Amino acid sequence: MLNFLIILFAISLIYLSVSERFRTYAKLIAAQGILLMGIALFELKEVNTASLIFILAETLIFKTIVVPYLLYSIINRTGVYKVHNKSLLGFYSLILALLALVLSIVMANALENPKIDTVYLTIALFTLFIGVLLVVNHKLIFSHMIGFLVIENAVFMFSMSVGSEMTMLINIGILLDIFVSVLIISILINRIGSKFNKLEADNLNSLKN
Amino acid sequence: MILYYFIIAAILSLVAVFVKFRRIAKAAIITFSLVQAAFASYAYLHLNQTELSYFTFDSLGVVFLLVLSVIFPAAVFHGFRYFKNRITRRFFYYHAALIGLITAITGAYLANEATVVWILVEATTLFASVLIYHEKTKYALEATWKYIFLCSVGIAFAYMGILFLGFTMNQGGFTDLSFSAITNAASLVDPLYLKIAFVFIFIGYSTKMEIFPMHTVGIDANSVAPSPVGALISTAMVNMGFIIIFRIYAALSATPIFSWMNHILLIAGVLSVLVAAGYMLKAKHNKRMFAYSSLENAGLVAIALGVGGCGYYAAVLLLIMHSFVKSSMFFQLGQLYRVLNTMKLDASGNYMRLYPAGALVLIIGMFCLLAVPPSGLFISEYMIFKALIFGNYWFVTVITMLLLCVVVYAMSVRIMHICFSEPREIIHNKYPEKIHPAETITQFVFLMLVIALCFYRPPFLDELIRQGISIIANH
Repeated sequence: MLNFLIILFAISLIYLSVSERFRTYAKLIAAQGILLMGIALFELKEVNTASLIFILAETLIFKTIVVPYLLYSIINRTGVYKVHNKSLLGFYSLILALLALVLSIVMANALENPKIDTVYLTIALFTLFIGVLLVVNHKLIFSHMIGFLVIENAVFMFSMSVGSEMTMLINIGILLDIFVSVLIISILINRIGSKFNKLEADNLNSLKN
Repeated sequence: MILYYFIIAAILSLVAVFVKFRRIAKAAIITFSLVQAAFASYAYLHLNQTELSYFTFDSLGVVFLLVLSVIFPAAVFHGFRYFKNRITRRFFYYHAALIGLITAITGAYLANEATVVWILVEATTLFASVLIYHEKTKYALEATWKYIFLCSVGIAFAYMGILFLGFTMNQGGFTDLSFSAITNAASLVDPLYLKIAFVFIFIGYSTKMEIFPMHTVGIDANSVAPSPVGALISTAMVNMGFIIIFRIYAALSATPIFSWMNHILLIAGVLSVLVAAGYMLKAKHNKRMFAYSSLENAGLVAIALGVGGCGYYAAVLLLIMHSFVKSSMFFQLGQLYRVLNTMKLDASGNYMRLYPAGALVLIIGMFCLLAVPPSGLFISEYMIFKALIFGNYWFVTVITMLLLCVVVYAMSVRIMHICFSEPREIIHNKYPEKIHPAETITQFVFLMLVIALCFYRPPFLDELIRQGISIIANH
């Protein structure tokens, strides 16, 4: 079951890297929230109940409900539904995503250790690469925001890969996730949306030499 | 004592933001600068004392805390001048955020645990973003967005690095992430994990040290933030980034990855100087030029760390002197804007005629930044090149020297244009502000301090630096 969830998570990443509709992004982020909750539920058996509840609440309430809701409100407010300005075509994005997957497998196997779960580490690295690709490859600030959320999910997967012995670190990471995500999304909704048209990253290049 | 410091800072910050009287807000920030100086003195008098379990007054932290305590009152003074003719409620938020920023930076200087440092660094991002957004212009919004976004990505990378470090510590049988525990456990664990942890942490905190690869964060922030804030971001914040990277570097210095870390630092350092030199040649914005100069100096510091030997001492000394010079230059840029009403290089000119005291600061500051004797930076850069040559790093030596020539050319041409040439572009500036020359006193004092450090370094400073760098195993 756990492997099934992890594979689904990897598929959601590949889908994310080639999709072009913002509503799909929001749905995929929500789906990843549910998958992460399932993974945490199966994996973190050794942590105390309070921490487990905290982690599950974060993945279910925050990642699955609050963040996608905020993303939908940005989409509705700005009226931008589709990525129309990408640096690379979908086909090349797919090739890059697959290369990232291969690289992640190679790196995770190079880091093989009895105390570290290679499958988690592979997916964590893959998630990180996809997040970075979304930031680099897209020109809309909205896509950059999605890239950041994916990087945060990578952080979560890294936490899972090194086991349940460092609950405090995992909780701090989750608090960061919540706090910074809300902060960034709020700026996106309240400030940038009103001052810049259509949230184009190209509009945010007035600071030059 | 540090608990009282945090409590007083929180109270003063709340007073500044909620009691909406200018005089009270001014009294709060002046009181805080006195508290800051008193706390720095206390920390110096109680070296190596640990408080609240997570804060240790070690030499490295204390030396930069003392520097901050000297620069901060000047930043407060120039902040008051910045608000002189501005009737705005932002005055209160500005000072509250400033107190928060300095408190978080102070905490990060003294924190002895990787996770505590990480939390405080995140706090600096939030307070700094309030200050960068202060003007509420389109540019300020862009810079703030980029600052928060990139710092958040950086902090996520640093978190992953700490996670790897935590994992390796667990393997070594250690449960906490204090720098001393990392030092003890690091030699027992798999070097590959340490390498990954170091890379992630280095990339993450490069946002704060304003060094390659995530140097762009600081450049935009410095160019948009009010000048006193720019002065603090490009000095106190850069020093904070350095301290964190240095502590991790020192903790891992007894492991087999030591030479590998040196190579990473050398590469990052050379690339930083390269990027700085390239962009300084293109710079058309006065503040951005000085922001790139910070990148260049941070690059030299990384090279100094990477080469080792007397480079360690030179790195700390360079940062101390850079803090004084760069803060005075940013304070001066604030005055330049009040006189010329522009930050565009092409629209700047005749500054020597319009405000001679300010032009003199720019010229002396330029010589200091470019490490021309009798600038104190000459001593530190001399030591860096000495270490490079004695270490047989000929390639790095030649490349760095060539790039520094470009920096010297780019900066001197621009400063001379500002001071002596006619503006190439005419802007509407009907009533240039008359600034009293006495307002430059703090800047002259800082510059003279840097020149004095070329000839004499007080024994207490020398001792603090030597003790600070002694935590490196191979030193």
